[in-house]
Amino acid sequence: MKRMTLAIFAALLMASTSFAATQAANQANVSPTLNISATVQKAVSLTLATGTTGGVSHCAVVAGGGTPDYTMDFGTVDALAINNGNCNKFAPTTPGNTDAIYWSDYQVTPVYTSHQTFGSTTVTAQVTANFAAPNNLYVVRDTSSSNAATVTTPSGVGSFTALSTSSADTIGASGVTSGTALTRFIGLAVKPLNNASVTYATQTATVTFTLTVQ
Amino acid sequence: MPACVDDRENATQALGQKLGKERRGFSCRWLVAIILSLGLTSPMWAATKLKLASSGTGFAIAGVSPAYTASFGTMNALAFGTPATNVTATALSNGALYFTTLNVSVQAIGGGNSGVVKAYVSTNFIGNAASAMMVYGCAAPSACTSSGQFSALGTSQAGATTLASGLNSGSSSANVGLAIFLPDNNGATAFTGLSALGCTLTFDLYLNGSGTSTDSVTLALLNETVQNAVQLTVGTAVGGLTIGNSGGPLVDPFSMNFGNVNALGIGPSSGLTTVAQAGGIIYSTPYNLLPVFTDMSQTSASVKACVSTTFTHSAILTLKDSATGSAGSFSNISTNCGAATSLSGSAGNRSTVARYLGLFVSNVNGATAFTGLDNATLTYTLTVP
Repeated sequence: MKRMTLAIFAALLMASTSFAATQAANQANVSPTLNISATVQKAVSLTLATGTTGGVSHCAVVAGGGTPDYTMDFGTVDALAINNGNCNKFAPTTPGNTDAIYWSDYQVTPVYTSHQTFGSTTVTAQVTANFAAPNNLYVVRDTSSSNAATVTTPSGVGSFTALSTSSADTIGASGVTSGTALTRFIGLAVKPLNNASVTYATQTATVTFTLTVQ
Repeated sequence: MPACVDDRENATQALGQKLGKERRGFSCRWLVAIILSLGLTSPMWAATKLKLASSGTGFAIAGVSPAYTASFGTMNALAFGTPATNVTATALSNGALYFTTLNVSVQAIGGGNSGVVKAYVSTNFIGNAASAMMVYGCAAPSACTSSGQFSALGTSQAGATTLASGLNSGSSSANVGLAIFLPDNNGATAFTGLSALGCTLTFDLYLNGSGTSTDSVTLALLNETVQNAVQLTVGTAVGGLTIGNSGGPLVDPFSMNFGNVNALGIGPSSGLTTVAQAGGIIYSTPYNLLPVFTDMSQTSASVKACVSTTFTHSAILTLKDSATGSAGSFSNISTNCGAATSLSGSAGNRSTVARYLGLFVSNVNGATAFTGLDNATLTYTLTVP
């Protein structure tokens, strides 16, 4: 019987102390709890910025805040490189026969987080919306496909190659580092094309950059 | 001296002559009958009695007219815990109300008479107990089942509170409410412990609008005990992440779900903002802590926090605290509850402590990188010195 009484008392005592921990009487402290939960996701980011290469002019990379994400304006150009454009130019090797190139440096910064596998990460670029016909303008890029932070500054029209319109060109080779800005060069070539369909209005092309973490 | 005017042996001649010339020694039975008759028709002479009793659903009333006793038992100004039998406790914005009902009745009120019962605190609690407990009443015919139906009883006969009116021979009783209000009462007037003598209430019966009471009884509220109490709740701040507590507003654990997070701060959930932090990002939300404490000698308290259960991936996810939420203001919340992080050293009673909770997400890649759900628990401690 005594054992039973003790058991009942113990049960009552436990019941009386099982109230919420937000309140207490006859005590000077109370300790409620807050459960925190979060689901971590891996993430990627690829941003463009105006270049900072010494000794060259920089066409500004302007964030658009939507579509397109960024814009770069080369200004007024011509196939003889008479106009200065907004940044740098290379005159055609053979005026009237070969192309003039207006160009600028820029930065592309890949960032990726919470990835367990990332050693073969690349950055690519592709012209996804080309200049309109008769295509007397086309987008060019530096010829490097390194994963280095910087590449050699172009020294002439030979330092550029056409940016593919049909497949992605590697501009940051396997192993680009998260958070490290890559300085690259982009431009547009102007053909010395004489044609009835040549236009003199502003033309626009779109380049899509892609970061692939792998 | 005659025992009765009907005492033939001792009756005086003069009295006999006054009561009847034909019958010397007037009959005592007739006189008694006359007196009884007058008593039944005249309220001024009636034996009208005021009585108190348990309402059946109210607390127990002991004693007999004219002196009764009762008790509300052990109370606190947060209405925390289980009150005495047939006493209801309800928390208010500035204390708590413990209330019950009792029955007042008038015996032998007489036909055509109308009675009013008023009550007042004739002897208040002693010392600081008077600051800790205040007697409230609720007039019939109210159900007296909610705090809003009660008001403070007067403390003098002139300021007595009417609890029942319109009592008559057809309806000679009423259930009225009685309560003790416990204000927060911190500081110099704080009181805890037993008030053995309690206080005394006087109930007066007034008939037919008379300014003079016909009968009075007292109810001593004895052995009232006041305990101090503490409360700390976590709440959603305006514009902040919603804090849940499925068990009820005063039942922990509280919960806060940051949802999907990433080290770049892309797409924070509603209520969250991102704050730059080297090595990752901080998801930040404002939130509120509300300390409440009653019958404490001190008027300020401390609020501390610790991570009592860390995230499983504690190298990836870290909880931080900030007073402003601005970049650079966040610091890690201690994972050692023995040395918890101070959030306020001077928290006032019922004064919101506004803080920012930060969830740092590391941007680490590689073998130690983590994606998925993780949980942690914060323990907050309110201490009133």
